[in-house]
Amino acid sequence: MTDGVAVQVCDLRMSYGATQVLCGVDFEVRYGEVFCLLGPNGAGKTTTLEILEGFRRPTAGTVRVLGLDPAAQAARLRERAGMVLQECGFPRQARVAELIDLWRTYYPNPRPLEDLLEVVELAEARNTQVRKLSAGQRRRLDFALALAGDPDLVFLDEPTTGFDPEARRRCWAAIENLRRLGKTVLLTTHYLDEAERLADRIAILRAGRIELTGTTREVAVLGGLATRISFTTPAALRRGQIPLPAGIDLAVRGSESVCHSGNPGMTLRLLLDWALRHSLGDLDGLAVTAPSLEDTYLQLTGSGPGLSQAGGDRP
Amino acid sequence: MTRSVRLAMGQALIEQRSFWRSAEYALFTFVFPLMILLLIGAANVGSYLPGTHIKNTTVFVPGILAFGVIVAAYVNLGSKVAVLRHDGVLKRIKTTPLPSAAYLGGLLASTVATAILLAAGTGLIGWLAFGALPRPGGLLALTGGLVLGIVCFGSLGLAISSVITSAESAGPVTYASFLPIAIISGVFDPTFGGLPAWLSHLVDLFPVKSLAQVLQNAYAVRPFPAWDLVNLGLWAAAGATFAVWRFRWHS
Repeated sequence: MTDGVAVQVCDLRMSYGATQVLCGVDFEVRYGEVFCLLGPNGAGKTTTLEILEGFRRPTAGTVRVLGLDPAAQAARLRERAGMVLQECGFPRQARVAELIDLWRTYYPNPRPLEDLLEVVELAEARNTQVRKLSAGQRRRLDFALALAGDPDLVFLDEPTTGFDPEARRRCWAAIENLRRLGKTVLLTTHYLDEAERLADRIAILRAGRIELTGTTREVAVLGGLATRISFTTPAALRRGQIPLPAGIDLAVRGSESVCHSGNPGMTLRLLLDWALRHSLGDLDGLAVTAPSLEDTYLQLTGSGPGLSQAGGDRP
Repeated sequence: MTRSVRLAMGQALIEQRSFWRSAEYALFTFVFPLMILLLIGAANVGSYLPGTHIKNTTVFVPGILAFGVIVAAYVNLGSKVAVLRHDGVLKRIKTTPLPSAAYLGGLLASTVATAILLAAGTGLIGWLAFGALPRPGGLLALTGGLVLGIVCFGSLGLAISSVITSAESAGPVTYASFLPIAIISGVFDPTFGGLPAWLSHLVDLFPVKSLAQVLQNAYAVRPFPAWDLVNLGLWAAAGATFAVWRFRWHS
């Protein structure tokens, strides 16, 4: 193991003709973590993954996966990395357990069949013909095949795109099982809730560049968004009987008062001092909300409020 | 190397199992040629080629042998690979450490097995029902002809799979691209004739008639089919070249 890093990407660039798809991507995936490459469609997620999987040779930059160069050592990589591509069919006449068993013969140290069926929750469907599986079950069979060789690392390219909520939930459960097995997982998605729910760390990829990397919390903070502090507007404040707290940009919106702060500790102290002075107690309904990944993401991808509005009231 | 061979054999077994499980493949591949053999064969019992002492069935049975080889090697392999590619199964295989040669070797071995079974079935029925047997010393020519036919039409099958753009059109395209040629090559009718000269020459250029004549030579003494052997070799080489040039693991 190279310094606990399963995947290392340095200044990765990719062009198709004159179109630059990746413009210098850097990130690392550590052993045992679930790492999510989050970004809108067309950001370059799949291209990045295909380079890491050894299907494409990058225009420039270095890539190491499990200490290997994917383009040059594809065969060795495939013994140790499982790959779930976006859309990939099964042989038409195959049955679930039979197909998994066939896949197991491709690898030097396969996982036991029963174990695989259990991890992806397909034990009851073991004798079902593949073409009779639901979309969610097919995806979980994808997982089982990718896990057949007991890989150290699993690539998942947009694992739940187009699924109904129940199918997504079961898919997520299967990915949680991968984490429990100690697998390193690199997944791409354009779903925020998926990244937030599954990932230990996230990189936001937009237009071929990594905008931010870190834990969900770090990404939100790095995004430069403020913590939201809100409380029920005290009656005295609403009637204008007491002044607004000094040094805080407080917005009174009917029954709720809201402010945003980059330094929530200080703001809270000021607020509570003010409340004490005006005999408002501990402020009913006081809530401190960390900036969410969604806020950061929407702002970065240009579909949400910008920084200038961070201090204002947002829905 | 031995591991690749073992993997290829395992793949071939799985292919055979799924072949026999699938009505569309197994039925069309086996029932169609054998049905034609029995029906048209029955119509030719007791007839002789005009002006000769050669029974119609000794020419017709090897003609159906050729037809069977083409169905098993060309239609089956061609549409199978096209469907596998279109469904993304070939792409999925590339995510595993299975060597490409082992996978394709397994597909080809399964195709060869199907072709041999079909040829054996055709030969057996031709013998039992119509008394058609290879001429004395013709067994070697028969074996050689079958091998050459499987190689030639197998490589043409791989080649056409790269031209097929959807899974739905795989069967129709493979059948439609040889059935008309098979008909005007006289595969189904030992007394077939009367083509305009230019069309007759054109048919000679296709490998269907060549394979039929090579196999007919193993049943009834006819002029040594030198041109037909060369023609099959040329088509095999052309098919293999095109297949290698155009082969893709994804659609």
